[in-house]
This record gives sequence, structure tokens and C-alpha cells, in this order.
Amino acid sequence: MIAAARRDLEEILGSGAVLSDPLALRLYGRDASMLEGSCELVAIPSNREQVVACVRIARRRGLAVVPRGAGTGLAGGSTPLPGSLVIVTTRLQRILEIRPEDRLAWVEPGVLNLDLKRRLAPLGLTFAPDPASEASSTIGGNVATNAGGPHCLAYGVTANHIFAVELVLADGTVQSFGGEGPEAGGYDLRGVIIGSEGTVGVITAVCVRLTALPEAVQVLMLGFATVDDAAGVVSEVIAAGLTPAAIELMDRAIVRVVEDFAHAGYPVDAEAVVLIELDGLQGGVDRQRQAVEQIARSHGATVIQAASDPAHRARLWKGRKSAHGAITRIAPDFLQYDVVVPRTRLVEALAAVRVVARDEGLIIAHIVHAGDGNLHPLIMYDRRSPGALEHVLAAGERIVRACLEMGGSISGEHGIGLEKRDFMPLMFSAADLDLNDDVRAAFDPVRTMNPGKILSDVGRSHGPAAGHAAGAAPDEAGSWRR
Amino acid sequence: MSSKLPAGVRFLGAEPGAVAGWLTHDAPTDRDIASCVGCGLCLPHCPTYRLTGDETASPRGRIAAMRAVSEGRAAVDATFSRYMDLCLGCRACEDACPSLVPYGRLLDGAKAEVMAVRARRARLVRVLGLDILLDHKWAITALSAYLPFVRPFLPPRLRRLVPRVSLRELARPIPAVTLPKGHARGTVAVLTGCIQDSWFRPINRATVRVLARNGWKVVVPPQTCCGALTAHYGSLGAARRMAAKNAAAFALADADWIVVNSAGCSAQMKEYGELIDRPDVASRVRDLLEFLDEQGFEQPAGSPVARVALHDPCHLLHAQRIFAAPRSVLGQVPGLEVVEIADGDRCCGSAGLYNLFEPAGADRLMRQKAANVAATGCHVVLAGNPGCAVQITAGLAELGVDVEVLHPAELLDRAYRRSARG
Ligand SMILES: Cc1cc2nc3c(=O)[nH]c(=O)nc-3n(C[C@H](O)[C@H](O)[C@H](O)COP(=O)(O)OP(=O)(O)OC[C@H]3O[C@@H](n4cnc5c(N)ncnc54)[C@H](O)[C@@H]3O)c2cc1C
Ligand code: SF4
Ligand code: SF4
Repeated sequence: MIAAARRDLEEILGSGAVLSDPLALRLYGRDASMLEGSCELVAIPSNREQVVACVRIARRRGLAVVPRGAGTGLAGGSTPLPGSLVIVTTRLQRILEIRPEDRLAWVEPGVLNLDLKRRLAPLGLTFAPDPASEASSTIGGNVATNAGGPHCLAYGVTANHIFAVELVLADGTVQSFGGEGPEAGGYDLRGVIIGSEGTVGVITAVCVRLTALPEAVQVLMLGFATVDDAAGVVSEVIAAGLTPAAIELMDRAIVRVVEDFAHAGYPVDAEAVVLIELDGLQGGVDRQRQAVEQIARSHGATVIQAASDPAHRARLWKGRKSAHGAITRIAPDFLQYDVVVPRTRLVEALAAVRVVARDEGLIIAHIVHAGDGNLHPLIMYDRRSPGALEHVLAAGERIVRACLEMGGSISGEHGIGLEKRDFMPLMFSAADLDLNDDVRAAFDPVRTMNPGKILSDVGRSHGPAAGHAAGAAPDEAGSWRR
Repeated sequence: MSSKLPAGVRFLGAEPGAVAGWLTHDAPTDRDIASCVGCGLCLPHCPTYRLTGDETASPRGRIAAMRAVSEGRAAVDATFSRYMDLCLGCRACEDACPSLVPYGRLLDGAKAEVMAVRARRARLVRVLGLDILLDHKWAITALSAYLPFVRPFLPPRLRRLVPRVSLRELARPIPAVTLPKGHARGTVAVLTGCIQDSWFRPINRATVRVLARNGWKVVVPPQTCCGALTAHYGSLGAARRMAAKNAAAFALADADWIVVNSAGCSAQMKEYGELIDRPDVASRVRDLLEFLDEQGFEQPAGSPVARVALHDPCHLLHAQRIFAAPRSVLGQVPGLEVVEIADGDRCCGSAGLYNLFEPAGADRLMRQKAANVAATGCHVVLAGNPGCAVQITAGLAELGVDVEVLHPAELLDRAYRRSARG
């Protein structure tokens, strides 16, 4: 079956674009999460027609399809399960059309977020979503995970910047959803596709909304003697009705390692550093800056510094955006969570994490999209010590539960994938989950598309989903309801 | 949660009791491998990933392949070798890595492993060429003497890459001692290089003149190849031998500084601390423009050209993280505008001997680079590394544009001569 699939694929794509060597398959066995799976074949198509052919071949040969962009996902979304064909979109990398006057562009899914931004900048335009992985993640991956980023505080998540999506469905048909404007008529199915993590089809083109670059930008760096002071400033800035473009918080452990790499001049002695970006018209930026500085002073900020020039600003952001990668310099292994709390309860959430860290005797470092109440607690461990992983997973679950009790959520932006799917029942009732599953089945009744992600494939409460036929789904052990 | 993972999925990590599949003592260390979190921030900076979009041709993928061997899940086999051979060794990934993964060191280790499994013939070519020939300067000179006669008979691809060597130049070695102009500021020892000294001796002459002009006594100790090519092609043992010879020779020369005008070589000599525990030598090594920038230099009265495109050799930009120094030095030449090359941080494909062993990828990178150089509209491009100079010259020739490739030392030398003429 696999040999046959390989022959079929090679016939269409050529042998260089089909990988079956065990070592190659292993390299495609993971994304940027801590999970490793395995697959049977990898295909790297160059255009939509080839994607269609790959999907059809997978279906014919009984393989599941795992769409993959750059593999920077943090939830195991593109970590394949046995029995699958990984379809890599990195060669679909044309910017098809930029229409400045309509404030839109059509791009292929493999275009890297930052590459698009670089093309747009000379036109005074940008694509607003800015995940910290913007330099390496694909637009297709951003859409499929509904990526956020520091600036989604002011500009919204990826979903706010997508007009239309072209999708290859599980049976190989190509369909467009949405139109070249915000109002497309009919059900807004874009919303289902954005954030679907590859479970409804392979995205082959995206129509993105373009945003004008602001006239003025200012980044303020604030340092604090306690994390609570820092969080207090964040709450007050928001309560005061100020509208920063981004508010990011890092604790001391993180600041130290990123400073080693980015040399941005972060105060490495501060217990917490907050970056606040203000943008808009020059006058407004100046006024907001004064107001923020006032609030910071009243909360005992030990450092209040504005970026001296665009290069300094870029270094400050570079530091923040490299935080995730720099963690191994603290501990050999870590698990990162992506919990959300109402942003007014940030201080409380940080305190809850502190309690868990203390009870469990673990080091937990913080990177926080503070403006959105989106915490990324990083729990450090060393996998070589016996039981360490189980310990961390238990601590993580405590954090998740605590945030849910505050009215929060299990994922702010990284998606559910494999890593967080077992938390879904903590947030949703069985009926909710079945409804989600029915929606998915409407796109992919035979479960060819990234099965086992977001929702587990087994254990529905009310029998099979509409149109569900067993077949392509790989075996799977365990689920949230077993 | 872990107990509920679907079949076939596990958390990363070696199984207890796993035995690494490494074959040599030079293998990448577990510690270096573990420093990669797999975040993928290096991917867009890697030229081979940009060309292919393929994880197996990416830094993260290559490190994962090493991890697979170290965890006993894969062997050092033909596939592993292929992945390592396709790497340019440009180290752009290292520069971009927030986890500070020492990719260059990992790759050297992996290449040493690959060397151990290469077919006999491939190994022989490398051992003869890199370990033995490069270590014997007279042999390079002797072979180079034949080049003018052999060149016309070489296949076009190779001919393009082999520069014209003048026999008159070959007959006149660089003097062992050159006295400074005016008051002496100190002594610098110069690495003349293996290939550089035979094929590009005028660059070495220009380097010596520029240093002497700026008050430095220049000595050229008897020396051998820096060992860079050898190390990057898997012969760490031979590279250590060359390094030890050089370290001894340069220590004897008793110079204040060791100045190197080829980025690949200065990068390598700066590693002598780690490679052979000679930090005393390594800490005195400076790339030429880095040296002039640190020590200050005499401003020429004017520039021989109005605009130059500046090429950043990977081993300067990524391996040594030197970006500002060349710009600062050239910026002080009156009447000279330095023009940036688009995608200037992308390797030209020369990459040591990559253009010989991996022609397809190398040619694509060469064409991109040549086109970007041509797009600057400059008539001169500066390249401070012989491999890059050869590659860019070949690319420009193929494109049919008339751009002169100069070493920064040659430009400064011309500027000084021009001011001397008044
Ligand atoms: C250092 C670092 C920082 C990060 N910062 C952020 C951040 O600030 N905000 C944030 O939201 N995320 C962040 N992430 C997570 C990740 O970068 C995003 O989720 C990103 O959108 C994934 O893009 P990708 O191209 O790497 O997709 P992949 O990881 O390859 O895939 C992600 C998911 O999308 C699906 N998918 C990918 N392409 C397609 C397609 N063409 N069609 C259908 N499905 C597809 C996959 O099946 C998978 O489920 C970060 C990751 C890292 C490593
Ligand atoms: S080498 Fe560095 S940048 Fe690349 S994946 Fe590993 S940790 Fe990330
Ligand atoms: S050294 Fe260059 S070619 Fe090799 S992995 Fe790093 S960036 Fe890619």
C-alpha cells in the first residue's frame, strides 16, 4: 500500500519531492512541540494541482493526510500519527497578487509571514499577525492555527486578517471560502477553517487583509522589582483606556537568556520586564507614552526607557521573539503551556502559577502576552531524571485547571493539536465536542485530514458523526473519554 | 496526559539504555545536540532550506539526524552522509539561533563521522587533496605553476572556478619581513594562506602594503594551511595537526597580532583555542578589516571608484559575527559609497569545496548572488574570502556583466597608491 502510494506520488511529483527514507521520515516526525510521531511518506508538492493529486493518492491508498507548513507549531498539530502522508506546503511560496488599493493580497500557503511583510513594507502596508515565529512560520500555518502574536492586542488574531481561503478537501475537490471582502454572504465558513489545524483540508491559497503601517511607533521598556508590580501596571494601562499595540511581559529567568542572544540592553536585574508598544499618529503616541510612564512610576518601575531608534526597537522585539528558543539555556527540557485568563486577573493567575511551582518544587518561567491575558508558563525539567516528565505534566494540568476556574481557556494561540487535546473535555461538554466533530465531519466525513488532532477520533457519546465511515483513520489508543 | 498519547507518539528523548551509533571520537556531543529545541527560527536563514523547502536540508533537520544517531535510532549511513554533505557550512543558522547552538562544531563532528564511512575513493580524494596537499605549500605552488597550461583543458565548470595564475607572481614569494612606513606601532604576523598564496598572491601583497603603510612591521612566519577546509570535510585529526604547526610557528614569530585576510581562515584560526587548546594564539587573530577598524588606519585621500558592492563572506558575517567593521572602514574612504547587496546574508554557494562536490546547489546560489551583485549597478564588488571571489567571478561571467571582483585590501591599496600619486 505504501509502496504503491509512493509510486503514484513519484509519478506526479518526481522522485525528489517524495521522501520515504526512514531517516527523512523521522525528521518529519515532529514540529516544534515536544512530541514525536511517525509517518509513512512525505510529499513536497509545488502547486495546487500537485496538492490535489497528493490528497487523492492518500485517499486511494488508505493513508491519512497531515498538512505541514514550516513545522513551528507548538501543539503537535503537524506531528504525524502512523499511517499518514505528510504534505509539506513550503514550495507553494508565490505571492500571487498584491492589490494595495483594495488592501488585499493573494498568497500561497508556504509564503513565510515575514517574507510577505518585507514585500509589503515599501508600499506602506503590512500583514498584521505577528507570531513570535513570524520569520519562519508559513501563512498557511498561521491560518491553520489562527496564530496570535504580541500585536494582536490592537490588531486582532489571524482570523481578523483573512478574507478568503482556498481549500483542498479530503476527496480532492478544491473549494474557496469567503470572498475578497469582509462580507461574503451565506454562512461564514472561514471561521471554521481558520484554526482548524489541518483537520478540514489543505489550504492552498489565502486572501489576506493588508493594514497600513502606522505613522509613528514607540516601544517603552519597563523594569520592575516584582512580577506583581509589572502585572499591576498592565492591568492599569488597560483599565485607563489606553490602547497600546502590544504589551509583553517576561520574567527575570527569560530576560537573562534572551539578553545573551539579542543584546538589546534589557535590565537583567529586574524581576520582570514589560515591553509596551504604542503606535498611531505622532501626537497620540506621545500622549499615550506620558500616560504609561506615569502609571509605571506610580507602580514603582525601576526602569523606564524608550527605544532610542528603530534599530533598538528591533533588538528589543528580537529578544522577545527569541525567548522560546533560548530556554534550553536554563534547563535541558521544558514544556510550554498557552493558557488564557481574563486580563484583569493576570496578577491572580501569576500567583496561582507561583503556588504550583512552590508546591511541586519546579522552576516555572514566564513569557506573557500580558495585554491579552495569555500566559506561556514554561516548566523546566530534565527528562533524564526518572518521573520528571510525569511530574511536569501533573503540574501543568494544575495550572490549566486554575486558569479555567478563573474563566480562562486552555489555549490562547498555539492551538490544540495533540498536546492539548486531552484538555478539551475540561472546557467543553460531551455534546459540545460532538457538535465540533459533526462540523469537522461535514468537511471530511471519512477522516482523512489530520485525524486525532484537536478532537480524539474515538469515544463519541452519541454514535458516529453524520456521514462518518470508518476507513482511512489510523488506529489510535486512548482518548479523553475512555 | 502522557499515558493517553495515541499509539506511535511519544515525548522526545532517548529510550533508557539506548546506544549511540557514532563511530569516531570526534562525533557531535549529546550536550551540543540537546541545545537545539527544534524551534525552527533558523530555517529561513538556511540557504539549502530556502532552495528546497525540505526539512532534511535544514539546520534543524540535520541536527535531528544527529540526534537520531546519538539516540541509537539511526546509523551513520549513506542518507545521513547525504544530508551532511548538502550543508554549506555557512553557519547562517548559528547566527540566527536564540539557543546559541554551536552548529559549526556539530557539523565538523558529523563530517568526521561521514568521513569514516565514505567509499574508499571519495576518502582518498579528500585525504590527498585536503590533508596532504594543503599541508604542503610547495606542492600547491608547484601544482599551481602548471595551472596556466592545464587550465584550457579543464572542463568549463572547473575552468570557470580556477583563476588565472601568473608564473611571475609564483616565482616571487611574499618577503618574510616588511618594515613599516615611519614609526612602528607594533608587529603583525600574516597568514598567507594555502590556495590564497598561490592563486591570489597580489591580494597578499596588497595586504602587506596596507599594513606596512599603517605603521605595522609585517612578518610572514613559515606556516601551513589554517586547516579550515580539512576540518569542514571531516578530517579533524589532520586539521588539528595543521593547527598545531601553525600555532607553534606563529607563537615563535612573537607578533602582537595575527592578521588574516581570508575570512574562512581567520574564522578557523580563532577556533584554535577550542580545537587544540591554544587560546594564546586564537585570541590574537583578527580578520584584516576587523583589525583596521579596531586599531585605526590612515585615511586615503580618495577612492579609486565611487561605488562598491560589499559582499559579506559567511565566515566573516556568521562564523565571526562581523558586520559593522568592513562598513566602518570603507565608510572612512573619502568619496566611496558602500552599496548593500540584496539578501547579502545568503551564502554564494562557494562554501569551501561545496561548489566542487555539490555543483547543482552551488550553481543556483551562485546565480542568485551574481544577479543581486549586478543589481547594485556597481562596477566593483568586494569579497574578503578567496572562495567567494572565485564563485562570484564565475557567476558574473556567466551573467555576462562586467563587474570587477576585488579584495578589500586591494581597494585600500589602490586608494593609497592613488593618493601617493597625488
Ligand atoms: C519560537 C516560536 C514562537 C512562536 N510564537 C507564536 C506566537 O507568538 N503566536 C502564535 O500563535 N504561535 C506561535 N508559535 C507557534 C507557531 O509558530 C504557529 O502556530 C504557526 O502559525 C505555525 O506555522 P507553521 O507554518 O510552522 O505550521 P506547522 O507547525 O507546520 O503546522 C501547524 C498546524 O497547521 C496545519 N497546517 C499548516 N499548514 C497548513 C495548510 N497549508 N493547510 C492546512 N493546514 C495546515 C498543520 O497541520 C498543523 O496542525 C511559535 C512557535 C515558535 C517555535
Ligand atoms: S538550531 Fe537553534 S534556531 Fe534552529 S531549531 Fe535548533 S534551537 Fe531553533
Ligand atoms: S551551515 Fe548554512 S547550509 Fe548548513 S544548515 Fe546552517 S545555514 Fe544551512
